[in-house]
Amino acid sequence: MRVSIYRFNPETDAKPRMQDYDVAPEAGDKKLLDVLMRLKTMDDSLSFRRSCREGVCGSDAMNINGRNGLACLTSLPGLKEPVVLRPLPGFPVIRDLIVDMTQFFAHYHSIKPYLINNEVPPERERLQSPAEREKLNGLYECILCACCSAFCPSFWWNPDKFIGPAGLLQAYRFIADSRDTATAARLAYLDDVYRLYRCRTIMNCTEVCPKGLSPSHAIERIRLALVRESS
Amino acid sequence: MRLFLGQRAWVLQRVTALVLLILLALGAATLLTGPSRSYEGWHALATSTHGAVLIVVFFAALCLHGWIGVRDIVLDYIHAPALRLPLLALIAVILFAIFIRVVLTMAAHFAGGA
Repeated sequence: MRVSIYRFNPETDAKPRMQDYDVAPEAGDKKLLDVLMRLKTMDDSLSFRRSCREGVCGSDAMNINGRNGLACLTSLPGLKEPVVLRPLPGFPVIRDLIVDMTQFFAHYHSIKPYLINNEVPPERERLQSPAEREKLNGLYECILCACCSAFCPSFWWNPDKFIGPAGLLQAYRFIADSRDTATAARLAYLDDVYRLYRCRTIMNCTEVCPKGLSPSHAIERIRLALVRESS
Repeated sequence: MRLFLGQRAWVLQRVTALVLLILLALGAATLLTGPSRSYEGWHALATSTHGAVLIVVFFAALCLHGWIGVRDIVLDYIHAPALRLPLLALIAVILFAIFIRVVLTMAAHFAGGA
């Protein structure tokens, strides 16, 4: 199997290059991450992030044959060769396939990704009806892998100002939560030409989400919530 | 009017799109049927009170819609303030001039009794 990988070490390289590897997957190698781990034993200078190896931590997000995805969820059969691996597009590269996610998480923190409720807490948990809980499905599952934001042209154009699909999906997760009492403040924060309205409904985010979520749908819901809020 | 509106601009863009769609369909249907198929018919229609009002409304919606759309493109691609602000000002002046020209043209017809 031939794999072509983006290599860049800022300490020694003036510019990035593509390096080709030939590797023979063994019987237990089912996913692209297995091949990367095998390559790591051949060339320990190759750098990439990985942790849970089962699509939960989101750390091995990368651009695989031109499309963002998680190496641990990408099956080997059906992968077109040479498999071209690049870091997430639009993100500053730290080294090889490792990108700087500082800006991405700054946007995530800006939407206050926690339940805000200053009412006196009940003796037991804050209850939700099954219908209220249902609204969080398709939102809480986001693992913040950044596949969506790194595939969004609007995020490429304004990464410092546009919150991006991942952050907006997370924002809607709390707007939609019946236990949260800061909905008006959350919407007021998002009512900005950059933070929310740089989205051009390109829908690349929904197309590439490895968890099958739809950030573009969440963004649409935020826009409609803003219209309802102001009318 | 603030330059960088969020939700209001988004709503305005959709409302003006709807107005343009309706007026375009209405205009096409009117031009393709009935007495307005000749130049004289079209001229009489455009200079009638209803026709003139609809034309002015059409161009108002067109200029507003165009302003938001072009503004968005500039915000996406042009990041240097020294280039962005003059460009936005130029676009605003051009669109406003188009609208004023339409209003003056329609007003001239009525003033001249055409």
